[in-house]
Amino acid sequence: MRYAEPETVEEGVSLLAATEDARCLAGGASLVAMMHAGQPSPTLLVSLHRIPELSAMVEADDGIWLGAMVRHRTVASDARLRGAMEVVRSAAAQLAHPAIRNMATIGGSVGLADPNTEIPGALVAASAQAEVAGPGGRRLVPVESLFVDRFRTSLVRGELVTRIFLPRGTAGAVGHHLRLSRVSGDYPTVSISLVLAMEGDTCRQARVVVGSCGPVPLHVAAADKRLVGTRLGEQDVAEAGRLLAQAAAPVDDVRGSAEYRRMLIPRLLGRALSLAREHTHG
Amino acid sequence: MADELPVSLTINGTTRTLAVAPERTLLEVLREDLHATGTRRGCDQGSCGACMVLVDGEPVFSCLSLAVTLRGRAITTIEGVEAGRELHPVQRALVQHGAVQCGFCMSGIVLTAKALLDRNPHPTVDEIRHALGSNVCRCSGYAKVVEAIASLSEQPGKSAPAGGAS
Repeated sequence: MRYAEPETVEEGVSLLAATEDARCLAGGASLVAMMHAGQPSPTLLVSLHRIPELSAMVEADDGIWLGAMVRHRTVASDARLRGAMEVVRSAAAQLAHPAIRNMATIGGSVGLADPNTEIPGALVAASAQAEVAGPGGRRLVPVESLFVDRFRTSLVRGELVTRIFLPRGTAGAVGHHLRLSRVSGDYPTVSISLVLAMEGDTCRQARVVVGSCGPVPLHVAAADKRLVGTRLGEQDVAEAGRLLAQAAAPVDDVRGSAEYRRMLIPRLLGRALSLAREHTHG
Repeated sequence: MADELPVSLTINGTTRTLAVAPERTLLEVLREDLHATGTRRGCDQGSCGACMVLVDGEPVFSCLSLAVTLRGRAITTIEGVEAGRELHPVQRALVQHGAVQCGFCMSGIVLTAKALLDRNPHPTVDEIRHALGSNVCRCSGYAKVVEAIASLSEQPGKSAPAGGAS
């Protein structure tokens, strides 16, 4: 295995484009573990940790840009990530355990595209956008367009994620991430990421994403729609939950059966909505 | 076999220049090249915490850290925590509270506790338990480990924090 430490994004892109089977190294928490577990090493490892712009966190009027190499520990403790953006802060704070959060990065979590971790679902709930750099320049895409399958993104050879944009969202919106896991520190059995805005007791906006229940974060527009305009009564939540459970494609594994996961979705949705409502000022 | 790259690592304040293949982890370099075997290999997956070291003062898994990426970073291992042949206060507290059984996890736990106390000299029991979230101990049940660390958190003139079984 060869190794490179580019100092600019453009240098990184040309290394990735010029080499078949090159991979980016971000925090290493997953990639190195996979190499230990017997997955073949890439021919070229392109470490991103010497590219200064990738570690920047920049506040704009309409949201916050998170550099791809910003670690979950930093995301978890940044008080500027409030309102709708709180869903990502809260997800980062609950991801795995402290030493993983000290290593793993937001861009690494996007590139890994593990549907069983916190970050992909939280980013989709936050309507995040990803800036992708490639041989043809940079483009900004909705983050969900990157997630195409378990551990697979739509990124092509020569491309890397440079930063993530989290929009502030509508005034008064709040984000929340709720996970159920066997023990703290384990992968979630099911997680719910949502952004909610209320007007009095009426739901004005809802964007709900389910994690660990399919190959990519599960977002069902009809479920959001079922909640908007309601008072989030028991029936409303149950029906939105049913729409999500029907669309889910969970697997049976050591953390729970597919049936159990489907049963959890509406219940966790109700709990996540109640917790989020406590933080709304509608 | 991959080519070796020259890398300078600053470990416990001493800079060592080594030739290291890029796929080798800090854990391997510490144990095999530097014979610093206080850092333990457990799961090699970032799940157990036996291999924990501090990088710029923060706990990370040396089993998941490629050595070549750590140029210019301050690495602290268990060999670097004692001062003048005196045990570190965390080590002393763990011994005094009978928290050590087989001891395999202890270098990681000592470094986690040191990082916590360096950042927050008076952590609550809850903060201690959260900080230990990356360290697995299969002997002790953690109660005495938490008690030992909490004993260092007591502020002069204040009573001890509430007990560990929260």
